[in-house]
Amino acid sequence: MTARSLADANMAPAGGRAVVPSTWSRIWSANGPGYLFLLPWFIGFFGLTVGPIVTSLYLSFTNFDLLTDPEWVGASNYVRMFTADPKFAQSMRVTFMFVIFSVPLKLAFALAIALLLNRGMRGLPIYRAIFYLPSLLGASVAIAVLWRTLFAGDGVINDFLATFGIQGPSWISNPRFSLWTLILLAVWQFGSPMIIFLAGLRQIPQDMYEAASLEGASKWRVFWKITLPLLTPVVFFNSIIQVIEGFKSFTPAFIISGGTGNPINSTLFYTLYLYQEAFAFFRMGYASALAWVLLIVVALFTGFSFLTSRFWVHYDE
Amino acid sequence: MTFNIGRRQFLMGSSALVAASAIGGPALAQDKRMRLAWWGGQARADRTDAVSKLYAAAHPGVTFDTWWNAFNDYWPKLGTEVAGGNAADVYQMDYRYLVEYANRGAIAPLDEYVGKGLDLGDFDQDQQDGGKVDGKLYAISLGANSVSMMVNTQAFKDAGVDAPTRDWSYDDYKAHAEAFNAKSNGMRLMADGSGNEPGLENWLRQRGKALYTDGKIGWDADDLTEWFKMWADLRAAQVCVTPEDQALDATAAIDTTMITLGKAATSFANSNQLIAFQAVNKAPLDMVNFPRAKAGSGGGHYRKPSQFWSVNPKSAMLADAVDFVSFFVNDLGAGAALGVERGIPCAKHVRDAIAPTLDAQSQIALNFVSNLGDLQGKLPPVPPAKAGEVSTQLTTKAQEVAFGASTPEDAGAAFAKEAADILART
Repeated sequence: MTARSLADANMAPAGGRAVVPSTWSRIWSANGPGYLFLLPWFIGFFGLTVGPIVTSLYLSFTNFDLLTDPEWVGASNYVRMFTADPKFAQSMRVTFMFVIFSVPLKLAFALAIALLLNRGMRGLPIYRAIFYLPSLLGASVAIAVLWRTLFAGDGVINDFLATFGIQGPSWISNPRFSLWTLILLAVWQFGSPMIIFLAGLRQIPQDMYEAASLEGASKWRVFWKITLPLLTPVVFFNSIIQVIEGFKSFTPAFIISGGTGNPINSTLFYTLYLYQEAFAFFRMGYASALAWVLLIVVALFTGFSFLTSRFWVHYDE
Repeated sequence: MTFNIGRRQFLMGSSALVAASAIGGPALAQDKRMRLAWWGGQARADRTDAVSKLYAAAHPGVTFDTWWNAFNDYWPKLGTEVAGGNAADVYQMDYRYLVEYANRGAIAPLDEYVGKGLDLGDFDQDQQDGGKVDGKLYAISLGANSVSMMVNTQAFKDAGVDAPTRDWSYDDYKAHAEAFNAKSNGMRLMADGSGNEPGLENWLRQRGKALYTDGKIGWDADDLTEWFKMWADLRAAQVCVTPEDQALDATAAIDTTMITLGKAATSFANSNQLIAFQAVNKAPLDMVNFPRAKAGSGGGHYRKPSQFWSVNPKSAMLADAVDFVSFFVNDLGAGAALGVERGIPCAKHVRDAIAPTLDAQSQIALNFVSNLGDLQGKLPPVPPAKAGEVSTQLTTKAQEVAFGASTPEDAGAAFAKEAADILART
């Protein structure tokens, strides 16, 4: 019965009734079915995204150990973070190092490969697929384990170096090099920015290059004066995405250091520290506060990028 | 029209389903479904499942629903389940987490069941006491074990050096290093134990101190400085592995320990782990006590409850859960299936029954734990709730000294302060 009357209300054309419909039923007949179809998404969005986010904001002002009820402590989690937590400072340092070095290197690498692939060679789809492959495997546990094996003291990298008579250190377990192996791993996964660069390169009008070659411009000059300026929107997009991904990076550091961030906290990524606080030491409140600080840092970075973008991003109009 | 009918049929069909499940609920509930959770590997899972089958066979209508995980992944999952109010009926508990769970009412006190469903007639008294918090019994030990060094006997044979004996002190290891290194092809005599919490505890106890007393640290900065100095000395004399090699072993997982990686001939471990170590080591392994702090000093070791069963106080089948725990530690069939994989059985009749049937490695473990002699001291009180975090910090601090980022003096003082801070933090 209910289903039937519901269907009637839905299907009746607006104004096809003798009585003037109330405001509510007018709104319902105009948009109701649409919202009804959106309902699964709404439930998911509010139940699984907005709800947890709001809860985590609340938890960030509490002490919560999972077993007992959260206890309100005001801003003390945040105060501690900025005044009395050397591990917080260390994890920030490690994460900024990682982002500052891995993102530009990765983008430069992605652009270089995209330029190479954009020369109309045969078998392009195959090369594209091959270069993209590391990104598909990227966040996987298997690759991190492979990395561990490659860069260990008696790993493949050192075997290779040994042929030149170089005795390499155990890269992965030496605090001076461990972060760099993770940066290298990130750079190696240049596939998705490369694909986007490639698409961007295809959109640059050919007549500009023709004009440039008529004027006798060198390849170097063409790159700096035509290709790069016209590609800046793509560079902008890629850098924002990669910076956010860089801050969120977790799996490689977790696998390579067994979740410890060692040696000497040299691979203690921010997310790894957050994970430790939450799931190794059961301080969900503090971990929630850490998560909100990360969100704010990423938002600041992104906002800053947008603010400066009008000085260096050229939209083709 | 057909559309309407279809929808009606759908509605009727789904209400029928709802009704069916409503009726089905109580009917199904007559079958008791017991949920178990533990940490460990495949070998432990096989043995545990074997006991579940035995129990189910003896108790018609009982079925089991289990999950297990590696130690580090077990606690987040268990904590989340307890917080969500849907934790297993019976779950494995560790000495380190016992106080935390007991204080928060997440495990049930079992005193009222002793002798009435929970048979502890010939259960070792020290193992019973190990499961008590503030005098109340919260956990039933599944086996006694002790810390022990795993020893690669082949490596010592190949190097022509005598394997370590129960009398060896750290100095003795040092005295044998040169002869060992001469023929060992880069393998060192021992792992670097400076960041190993059980190693530190054992050494402190031999000096009359403790890792924790009354929930506070039982040592001072000078003890730690001396500890770090001793290891700096062993490192310089090439008795133990390099810092880079030791750092490969981030979490003391068996497959990354120095002995398994072939970097050292002896590694710090637990007696019940011999079975698991041997499974990933080609060379035949033996075990010996942790080194003595100095010649003749003892009392560092103790018979630790390697792990417990605890019962969820919110379990819908509390009495059955207790009955299962009692079966697990008393039934001879269960004892035979479990062997000494979780440690030496605590009920005397089980221990006596399985002793003659054990394989060589299990015999080694049983003999080691049964014959600690002067090495054995009193069971220390249950460690404070934040002990795990202190242990993590010790590893980091030891690495700072090993890699030259800090001196033993600075690290000793810094660690004493950090450990106290961690314990004081809520």
